[in-house]
Amino acid sequence: MKDARAVGVVANPASARDIRRLVAHGSSVTAHQKLNQLRRLMVGLGRTGVQQVLVMGDRSGIAIGLVEASGRPSGAGWPSVEIIDEDLTNTAADTVNATRRMVAAGVGVIVVLGGDGTHRLVADECGLTPIVAISTGTNNAFPIPLEPTVAGMAAGLVAGGRLDVERVARPAKMLEVRCPGSGRSERALVDVAILNTERIGSGAVWEPGTVEELFLCFAPPDGIGLSAIGGHLQPVDRHEPVGLAIRLAATGPPPSGAPTQRVAAPIGPGLIAEVDVASWSKLAVDQPVTAATTSGTVAIDGERMFRFDSELTVTLRADGPLVIDVAEAMEFAARSGLLTGPVAT
Amino acid sequence: MTELNQLDLYKEMVRIRQFEARVLNEYHADKSPAWDIGAGLIPGEMHLSAGQEPAAVGVCAHLKKGDAITAPHRPHHFALSHGVDMNAMMAEIYGRTTGLCKGKGGHMHLFDPENHFSCSGIIAQGYPVACGHAMAFKRKGTDHVAVAVAGEGAANQGAFHESLNLAALWNLPVVFVIEDNDWAISVPRSASTANTSNADRAAGYGMPGVRVENNDVEAVFEAAGAAIDRARAGEGPSLLEIHTVRLWGHFEGDAQAYRGAELETLDERDPIPAYAAAIGLSDDQVAAIKAEADSEVDAAVRFALDSPVPTADDALLHVFA
Repeated sequence: MKDARAVGVVANPASARDIRRLVAHGSSVTAHQKLNQLRRLMVGLGRTGVQQVLVMGDRSGIAIGLVEASGRPSGAGWPSVEIIDEDLTNTAADTVNATRRMVAAGVGVIVVLGGDGTHRLVADECGLTPIVAISTGTNNAFPIPLEPTVAGMAAGLVAGGRLDVERVARPAKMLEVRCPGSGRSERALVDVAILNTERIGSGAVWEPGTVEELFLCFAPPDGIGLSAIGGHLQPVDRHEPVGLAIRLAATGPPPSGAPTQRVAAPIGPGLIAEVDVASWSKLAVDQPVTAATTSGTVAIDGERMFRFDSELTVTLRADGPLVIDVAEAMEFAARSGLLTGPVAT
Repeated sequence: MTELNQLDLYKEMVRIRQFEARVLNEYHADKSPAWDIGAGLIPGEMHLSAGQEPAAVGVCAHLKKGDAITAPHRPHHFALSHGVDMNAMMAEIYGRTTGLCKGKGGHMHLFDPENHFSCSGIIAQGYPVACGHAMAFKRKGTDHVAVAVAGEGAANQGAFHESLNLAALWNLPVVFVIEDNDWAISVPRSASTANTSNADRAAGYGMPGVRVENNDVEAVFEAAGAAIDRARAGEGPSLLEIHTVRLWGHFEGDAQAYRGAELETLDERDPIPAYAAAIGLSDDQVAAIKAEADSEVDAAVRFALDSPVPTADDALLHVFA
């Protein structure tokens, strides 16, 4: 039974702490800052009628801190807080498990605070439950910086049925990468990069010279990360029914081929790379493309994930998670007068 | 950055583990009664580093002769990885005159000026010392770096914060390495620390703070390489927190009742067999690497046992600089 007055909250405690603070100029988002963002979110949720929040448990004190804060005078008017803390592993599996439980509990909306990777994990599990995507990562393309107070209001209006989800939320695109040789299959919200390195190491991708091929769901010219490379070849909106496939030439000899274009792309915070492109083409929805590279490492949304040594296919899908456009939601709320009324006398 | 060599990383982790395993056996072999830490051929407390090898190996792979390390009370893995002579180290652990400190320091006080290695049982004491090394390197115009190593509990000491402050203020070539093994002796972070990651604390001093999860030697290698390269290039200090695992007790003899069910999970969290599998080593390769390490450790134990025990007169030698 769906309880539209309940909202799920996933806040990744590990975001914005990786090597990109050393190899680029990534900023830190501390656990205290994340907790502070959740407090602001709670105000927005409570003010719009949300009664209960299911929050992912963690070992960084964020969820427990939220419960503790809800008992203070400043927590008056907040929804009640319940922590999902069974079987915590302090790994990405916690995000997966929490999302499943939120969906099973029938929450109206899941609010996600994290980077591209966190959102990808939620997207794989959230089904038709809409999400609000708030960036607390390093170089995020999928979630954007949002004031949690306002994001909470939008989420609350949708969860409570005062805003029609079909009017203010749209499905995101995803890329499905399959490696038939190993049976491995993953989905990406932003990009799939095929790297000529064997190293998984710290995960993050920051050396453009290691990238052989790049597949993009969308390519914003004002974005940051690998998708910015595509943004300056052929801008692709996040709702346009196409993606991009790019072959880079920075790694030298054929088969990558001679470069045809050089792009100055902001691939990380404070990190602009000159990237030579051999060729690019548009990806159509549901049309599998076979990668030219047959061995190396696959990075999903900027994180090195697995090695492969056989054929890979990449397919653009249009059935990603339903993402609430907070700006659109609040504009509709304003035009509908949902948050205005006569002065009480 | 130093080129990653997976086999070298694995071999060095095994070398450390076999050293620690042998010390474990030798330490307990003649302790009678078992609770008397002064008894036996190896006297004093003993803090072994099994499980924490990825931190030392991943960091030290980037260091060169002349770089400095200050280590805490659990120092063997960093000492070995930094090139401290195994014979002299073992002799010091046995309290023999051929030891690093002529047998006066024991396992918690290993000083090797030639390799700029030092350690101490005083929690967080190594942080300001590392800053001193780094300041000297900077004033001399070298590209050497200093690495300060301690556990997550040490990051609650004032010396930690004073050191981060001055390192940032003076833009010193120092890397603060925090080994987070979840236990400050028997105290979990949740009972002692307002911050849940020490990587967060770096932000307060305007330096990069990175946390490496999963005790992954290659992830440590990459992050440490980036931090050390920054320091060598004059970009200043950084903080690297490594989430690792202490496979054995805080000290030898620690019953570890406070760890509860976690004790049941330790075998599966051992980073060495996991890495052997990750890089595809065969059983024969694993056995050969272990035998090679055992051979070196055997020789070190023989060297220590064949070395003289200090006399009463030795007590008055080398006491003051």
